[in-house]
Amino acid sequence: MSRRYDSRTTIFSPDGRLYQVEYALEAISHAGTAIGILAKDGIVLAAERKVTSKLLEQDTSAEKLYILNDNMICAVAGMTADANILIAFARETAQDYLLTYNEDIPCEQLVRRLCDLKQGYTQRGGLRPFGVSFIYAGWDPQRQFQLYLSNPSGNYGGWKATSTGANHASAQSLLKQDYKEDCSLDEACGMAVKVLSKTMDSTKLSSEKIEFATVGQTKDGKVYHRLWSADEITALLKKHDLAKDETAEEK
Amino acid sequence: MYDAPTMEVLLGITGKDFTLIAASKAAMRGATVLKASDDKTRALNKHTLMAFSGEAGDTVQFAEYIQANAQLYSMRNEADLSPSALANFVRGELASSLRSRKPYHVNLLLGGVDPITHKSRLYWLDYLAALAPVPYAAHGYAQYYCLSILDKHHHPDISLGQGIKLLNLCTDELKRRLPIDFKGMVVKAVTKDGIIDIEFDDDKVVHAA
Amino acid sequence: MSSPFSINGGACVAMVGKDCVAIACDLRLGLQALTVSNNFPKIFQYGDNVFLGLTGLATDVNTVSDLFRWKVNMYRLREERQIAPRTFANLVSSSLYEKRFGPYFVSPVVAGLDPKTGRPFICGFDSIGCIDFAKDFIVSGTASEQLFGMCESLWEPDLDADALFETISQSLLNAVDRDALSGWGAHVYIIEKDKVTKRLLKGRQD
Repeated sequence: MSRRYDSRTTIFSPDGRLYQVEYALEAISHAGTAIGILAKDGIVLAAERKVTSKLLEQDTSAEKLYILNDNMICAVAGMTADANILIAFARETAQDYLLTYNEDIPCEQLVRRLCDLKQGYTQRGGLRPFGVSFIYAGWDPQRQFQLYLSNPSGNYGGWKATSTGANHASAQSLLKQDYKEDCSLDEACGMAVKVLSKTMDSTKLSSEKIEFATVGQTKDGKVYHRLWSADEITALLKKHDLAKDETAEEK
Repeated sequence: MYDAPTMEVLLGITGKDFTLIAASKAAMRGATVLKASDDKTRALNKHTLMAFSGEAGDTVQFAEYIQANAQLYSMRNEADLSPSALANFVRGELASSLRSRKPYHVNLLLGGVDPITHKSRLYWLDYLAALAPVPYAAHGYAQYYCLSILDKHHHPDISLGQGIKLLNLCTDELKRRLPIDFKGMVVKAVTKDGIIDIEFDDDKVVHAA
Repeated sequence: MSSPFSINGGACVAMVGKDCVAIACDLRLGLQALTVSNNFPKIFQYGDNVFLGLTGLATDVNTVSDLFRWKVNMYRLREERQIAPRTFANLVSSSLYEKRFGPYFVSPVVAGLDPKTGRPFICGFDSIGCIDFAKDFIVSGTASEQLFGMCESLWEPDLDADALFETISQSLLNAVDRDALSGWGAHVYIIEKDKVTKRLLKGRQD
């Protein structure tokens, strides 16, 4: 049955499904978990980095969290190679907007541009959809802090707390349980590591296994975004008693 | 290289919570007045107004092109562009036209009130697409007469009433000094509530000294 | 008088000091003899310590400064690091030469500190991107001749940050006073390791 209708994304199956899009979603559900939480004074993004081999070079650059623009960052779940294409597109789109209007692109507009591109690949013949979901965190003067989630179909939505990747269903129910309206960024960071620790395979976390980023506002109202260093992540994990016991690792 | 100024009058004045835009009503062809009720302004959105002068044909064509683009943006994004964003957009369009086979020859004033901060804004653009944010501005020969008056009397926090008085000082001087009748002014004010037409006394007679 | 370089007027100067550099510009925007604005800065920042000064045709000052913001932002996102002054200078050069047969009418000046060595770096360009490296100072704009004179007489090697500020400020202010097309206040940047100081000079308002 499926063989007849999934060779092209342009073709619906008789029960109204696009198999290629569903396969893309399936691919994402095996990727490392990524979550985002909207606080009243900022946004936190956290992602699980799957360390596949000890021999793999752990370079400094993030592989799950990316800067899109001065006002926006994102977390990736899915195929990194596909994500790179979309991120390059998003960055160029944001800079083109800045060049045209001398203002940062409003968050939702950038999300929509990316989703328009993603949607195209679910409709045009002979092309495979992008196998990535994004969680976007950004700020703009019109709508302040915002959190979005988009998937390979080109759908997107705004969230207070959201997740994608492996175990996203359980992460989502944990977030639903723990989310407090008007929580502070610090509280949101705590919530993020707690949720990650429960959805990841190992209960004890380490800075090699997760990536962390925040969007916030300084006292003078300037918006910043920041990818956290390994030391900062370790400190946060210790604070919430989730750090891997270092002596145990030696054994 | 730089083209001679025109007799068309464009004036812009910012105040505490408004931007005034005024444009002469005469449509001229050489030394002939073709029309005495011309409106050289276009509303780009609820809180941004653009006044234009320059080569006949280019002016309205360019202004309405910009107007259409501003309105398209508002429809697509359910939000209006700010005066600053529009000024930069206009500059970009004019700058790319400048290095094309047949550039638009249009001078512009773009005034408005920022929809989020409610601060008044005024931008001066010439046909070369040089953009400058200014507290008050003029185009054409009017620059030579009005800028010095505005230098002396303008303050950033004037009220709309004071702004209109300032405008009267300027138009009186223009009537006194310009060699031809510019047929009075279309005057509009942009406030946070939108663009309003201002009744302006065009019939006042001013005699040269 | 009808050269595109001298329609709008403006002046810019950069100087090397001891472990610091300075760059300064006037604020005038004019149409030949008429002054339109006295708040038109001509220095733009493209990183923690990379600065570009642009004099010449105002529309191209706008265009070129916006264009380099685009290019440098894309560079920073791609490379995940800030651009170095020398790299930026080569970007300016090649970008200007791209328009060899329809140039931007600007005379750029680059000033900054090398992020690795902390060594001062300044250079100037013609409008089609020929780089002019200098160990002392670079001038540009309608007051460039006056600036040459002022800098030749006031500049000396190894000035510290405060002395450099005084030297560049006096050079610029006194140069633009002898040029009808520039002046009306100035911006001065002093760039030291981990510190950038921006000062606004009022200057003569005539």
